[in-house]
Amino acid sequence: MERAETTLPKLLVEKARTYGQRVAMREKYKGIWNEISWNDYLERTKVFCLGLREMGLRKGDHVSILGENCPEWIFADLAVQSLGAVSVGIYPTNSPQQVKYIIEHSGSRFIVVKDQEQADKVLEVRDDLPALAKVIVISMKGMRHYDDPLIVGYSEVEDLGRKVDALHPALFLDLVNATKADDVAFIVYTSGTTGPPKGAMISHRNIIHQIRACLQPVLHFTDKDSLLSYLPLCHIFERNLSMAMPLVFGYTVNFAESIDTVQENIQEISPTFFAAVPRILEKLHSSVKIKLEDSTRFKQFAFRLWEPVGVRVGRHKMKQRGLPLHLLVVYGLAHLFVFRPILDKIGMRRCRYVMSGGAPIAPEVLSFFRSLGVVTVEMYGLTETCGAVAGPHGEIKYGSVGEPCRGIECRLGKDGEILIRGDSVFSGYYRDEAATTEVIRDGWLHTGDIGMIDDDGHLFIVDRKKDILITSGGKNISPSEIENKMKCSPYIKEAIVIGDGRKYLTALVQIDYENTGNWAQNNRIPYTTYKSLASNPLVYNLIKQEIAAVNETLANVETIKKFTILEKELDQDDEELTATQKVKRKVVAKRFRKEIDQMYA
Amino acid sequence: MNGVGSPLLQIEKLSMKFGGIHALSELSLQVREGEIFSIIGPNGAGKTTLFNCMSGIYLAQTGSIRFAGQEIRGLKPHRIARLGIARAFQNIELFRGMTVLDNLMSASEYRLDYGLLSAILYLGRCSRLERKCRDEVEDVIELLDLQKHRKTPVAALPYGIQKRVELGRALAMHPKMVLVDEPVSGMNLEETEDMARYILDINEELKITVVLIEHDMGVVMDLSDRVVVLNFGVKIAEGSPEEVSRDPEVVRAYLGETPN
Repeated sequence: MERAETTLPKLLVEKARTYGQRVAMREKYKGIWNEISWNDYLERTKVFCLGLREMGLRKGDHVSILGENCPEWIFADLAVQSLGAVSVGIYPTNSPQQVKYIIEHSGSRFIVVKDQEQADKVLEVRDDLPALAKVIVISMKGMRHYDDPLIVGYSEVEDLGRKVDALHPALFLDLVNATKADDVAFIVYTSGTTGPPKGAMISHRNIIHQIRACLQPVLHFTDKDSLLSYLPLCHIFERNLSMAMPLVFGYTVNFAESIDTVQENIQEISPTFFAAVPRILEKLHSSVKIKLEDSTRFKQFAFRLWEPVGVRVGRHKMKQRGLPLHLLVVYGLAHLFVFRPILDKIGMRRCRYVMSGGAPIAPEVLSFFRSLGVVTVEMYGLTETCGAVAGPHGEIKYGSVGEPCRGIECRLGKDGEILIRGDSVFSGYYRDEAATTEVIRDGWLHTGDIGMIDDDGHLFIVDRKKDILITSGGKNISPSEIENKMKCSPYIKEAIVIGDGRKYLTALVQIDYENTGNWAQNNRIPYTTYKSLASNPLVYNLIKQEIAAVNETLANVETIKKFTILEKELDQDDEELTATQKVKRKVVAKRFRKEIDQMYA
Repeated sequence: MNGVGSPLLQIEKLSMKFGGIHALSELSLQVREGEIFSIIGPNGAGKTTLFNCMSGIYLAQTGSIRFAGQEIRGLKPHRIARLGIARAFQNIELFRGMTVLDNLMSASEYRLDYGLLSAILYLGRCSRLERKCRDEVEDVIELLDLQKHRKTPVAALPYGIQKRVELGRALAMHPKMVLVDEPVSGMNLEETEDMARYILDINEELKITVVLIEHDMGVVMDLSDRVVVLNFGVKIAEGSPEEVSRDPEVVRAYLGETPN
């Protein structure tokens, strides 16, 4: 495959030329899905870009973007890139201090924020940010009385850009033509399970190569696809799906009305492709299970009757074999009676692929979606590779993340660490030479993940290198595999397996407040808060049963001998979770040392 | 927006008796246009009675209530509502079986004045007015973050959300002034903070004058431009939140005599 020589802004210009009035994006506003054509997309990007330039932004400058997903986020992202500047996404859930760290570290001169909530965070720490010249606000709702000179409305910048465009109509295209494939397009700050976030610099070549050579052979996108943008855009996963990939394939991106309405919006859009992190799929899986328990006996009976059919069909589909005739007939009925209504409810009727990524997931959850008749794949990738490293190209194997992508070289190191080389390996950490040379050695990116490759070339991820536990008996154990099995239970939201240097394994468990609360109500168990629910002995018994069921499926050394239910929910604000809701093991182990020690007393 | 507006509502020497009980006696006050005006006082002070008089549910025996220069004492509640005084009740008064959207749409019904034939055939005027109405209701939905609940029947919603819908129903009438009776009673801290923000948004974004009855002193002190304190139907203090909270008579009425 030839090397990617274009850039994302160039692709946008090209797509607007090809598709013109076709729908590029939809945004639900006032209860109506409003369409944005490729022409509008280019126009809005152009005027914002020229507005920024008029305000003094130049090639090589940095601009942060902070807020929930919306079309303006993407316009701003590409406007910055069109200038040859670098855009930096920040998690909307970050605290003011975390926001400050990224603005400061990235040296951002401007920041684009979504609304009052995010603007307040920036204003709170502005005194520590002398380099910050402007805060550009997308939605001015509730900000009528802000007279801070730092604040400027998004539409004011656009107006400025329109004036510039009228005077110099060729300027924007000149800027776009000046962008080069090796320029850094954007910086993605990793969520940092171990230390402060690191800024991975991604060039245009990195990301376009990733999309064409790594993702496409697995996912087969066309311009007829449609998907919902709901994961944080500053993460490489959603940045790819909502910003970069549509520029390559020309599909439609839909923006949810608000974070609360994602579930309804998925139903309305019925996307043809659904990408999710394990937490979302786990939640969807348990909500279907819970809803089923609350439904009529007949429906429960029907589901139990047809479920094995789905499971068998799922197995055939994984092997890419055609269905035998009798199974095809029975499956047709099962689809009609049971699976179709369920798929309708969760908005997956038109779904070609469900894809899981971002963190390891329990294969049981994937099997559930497969049994409903949707092709479900797990892919493996990193921020530092701009997305995927491996994904199933044909046959899907249980528990595997598929074959290494064709666009990169992948091999295992001596200790089983996955090593990557190729055009989609990132351009280094911003202002962190030491960290860059630590991960890229002898031209190979060291992922820090331990993997295995079987005879057919399928990759299996064992765990993060530094997370692997060694018990005092000398057994190597992958905690995330056990944790994911536990999280399959609708009542367990988070599980942390402990046992490094200990005689046996134990776990800290965070119950799922909603589902367990629902269970408590059905069983007439009174509770008031998370804490009172978590410390109820009946809940303890419930979790004990759930864990016993998980232990059945594990080898003896891997079983959980004791567990403690945490009396508080893990929280990003308390530094226990990253912005992507991954557990920071060190922080948790330290904070709950007393509980852990009791389990070994 | 401290004291910028001219008087929107003027109450003079208003008295209301139930048998021998003087619920309100010779009460006079003014609400200025554009402000958030709070009425506080211990239980039984006559706060809700005052709201009932303002919205025409009770007929005060003597005195006058003038709204935008017009005497409204003695008018029927629906007439007063059409003049621009909407009310959000303490005990949620919504159509429980109807969806949030339908509740809000029905609140703006009085502004739809197309004929029966037009309605049956969904002719130009009807469809134009219905669209406009829906558009405005959507503004309220967005302001109060009710997007998720549009199609949910009110009875199925949690209490805190129902309170928000109740407020939304008042706003859907496009009032000049909204009477809000204990908006945060029975709410947790987070819901209270949200509600306080909504009330500020209503006042600032929609430029609606807000008259508030509330027991949560934190909310009253944070939101109000001016506060009036009632006790046994009599006004005992009036002024800015700071002035009122320092007033010795208020302290006595609220907290009882201090031991020293």
